[in-house]
Formats: sequence, structure tokens, C-alpha cells
Amino acid sequence: MSPADLTAELEQLHAAAFGWALSCCRWDRTAAEDVLQATYLKLLDGRARFDGRSSLRTFVFGVIARTAREARRRSTLRRWLPLASLVLGPEAVDGRPDPATALARADQTARLVRALGRLSARQRQVLHLVFYEDLTIAEAAAVAGVSVGTARTHYERGKAALRRLLEEENDRA
Amino acid sequence: MIERDDHHLRGAFEALRREDAAGTPPFQATVAAARARQAVARGRRALRLGAAVVVAVVAVVVVSTRRERDGVRLELDLATVRWQAPTDFLLKLPGDELLRSLPQLGPRGLDRRTL
Repeated sequence: MSPADLTAELEQLHAAAFGWALSCCRWDRTAAEDVLQATYLKLLDGRARFDGRSSLRTFVFGVIARTAREARRRSTLRRWLPLASLVLGPEAVDGRPDPATALARADQTARLVRALGRLSARQRQVLHLVFYEDLTIAEAAAVAGVSVGTARTHYERGKAALRRLLEEENDRA
Repeated sequence: MIERDDHHLRGAFEALRREDAAGTPPFQATVAAARARQAVARGRRALRLGAAVVVAVVAVVVVSTRRERDGVRLELDLATVRWQAPTDFLLKLPGDELLRSLPQLGPRGLDRRTL
């Protein structure tokens, strides 16, 4: 795929990729923008090369998930090692929702984000990929790096947990 | 029930997607910011490398000048050094001094009467 084609494809996927980055960064907008920028650099510089084994969408989402994990790891390291920021650069991911974004959200979506935040990371990922990004469970499994069976288990348990959490949120409201 | 709940969840995620889409930064701006960040990262990396080289050079110079200034040299004559193990006493046998000397043979050493 030529760089121009790749750029055009990435532009098509951009909104979905940003949504996925938001989910990987627990709706911290600044962190999601950082992760997306780092992902685009990896893709455009050829550090992450698409080999056609999956769809480009699945591949890009996989790179975003990996980049978000790396950012979280760096953030943890920075918290434990006082001088690590000199080597690792400025911090972006702090794993908390961006307060301005949280304020601007409608009630229903704010409840959904809060409920999603209480799920396990894997359940949240699989539900997001299936319901938000319209991927199949098999595609979600490829993005999350788990088997289809495991993804299906996360999907079913995650759905049940999310329904319960949303009911709790509604009762509270 | 499950179908209805799935439909409800799908609707909630759809609303979330619409809200997120409204706040998505433009693609070109994201790529431009990524390139700018890359340039800053490169500059920072070069700065870090330069600082490391300077620190290494200063350390080498300080160590070498201090050694020359002090003029203290640790000289060891390995020939004079003898290490003794704590278990060496186990190798000493009773009467082993008899084994270190040769018996005297000759007119004074032999008693003819015993022959």
C-alpha cells in the first residue's frame, strides 16, 4: 500500500480510530489524541506495517491498543521512578476521563461511560469494538489479541455486567 | 428480553459514538501534530545524547586528572604475596620434618656392627 493510499484509508478510519483511542485511554481526551498521533506516526513511518492478514481497520485498532498499553506502562513507570520523565518525555496518559469532556456529555452517555469504566479492561474493549465500532466478535478478538472463545466469554459477561451497572446508575439517578 | 437489551445497549453506544464524533480532532491536524511531536522528540533525543556524551567526557577527565594529581600508585609485587588457606593446617602431618630431610649415609651414619 502506497503512503498516499494509507493516508487516505487512515483519514476514512479517523473518527472510528479516535473513538477506539478514547476507549483505550478511558475517555481521557488528551491521552487519546497522544495515542492516536503516536499510532499514525508508527503507521506512516513504517514501524507498524500492514501485511494484509486482517482488515486495515482491525490492524489499525490493534496498533492503537498496543500504543495505549505502552503509554500506560510509561505512565506507571514515571509514577514509580522519579527521574524517569527525563528519559521518557512528558506524561500524557493518566487513565482518568478528561473533566471537560465528562462535563459536556449528555446524561445517558455519561452513565454509559461511568458503567464502562467499572468493567474489566477486556470486557470494555470487546463491548466497545462490537457495539461502538460494529466489529464482529472474531474481529474484536483479533484486535484485543485473544481467542474468539475468550472474546465471546468477555462479550457475554461484559454485557450482563454492563446491564446491571446501567440499572444501578439509573436507580441512582 | 436479551434482544431488547442488546438493542438498548446498541442505542446507548450509538449516542456515545455521535458525541465522540462531534469532538474528533481533524485528521490533518492530528497528523501535523504527530509530525511536530516527532521533531520535538528527535531534538530531545539529540539533546539527551549530547548531555550523556558531555557527562562521560567530564567523568573521564576528572578521574584521569585526579589520578595524576594524587600520584598514588598501588603497586603489588605478586612474587612476595603468599596466600594461606584457613585449612592449610590439615595438610601438616605429625613428624613431617623427618620426611623433609635426607638420612645421612656414610662412615658416621652407618654402624658396622649392625650390618
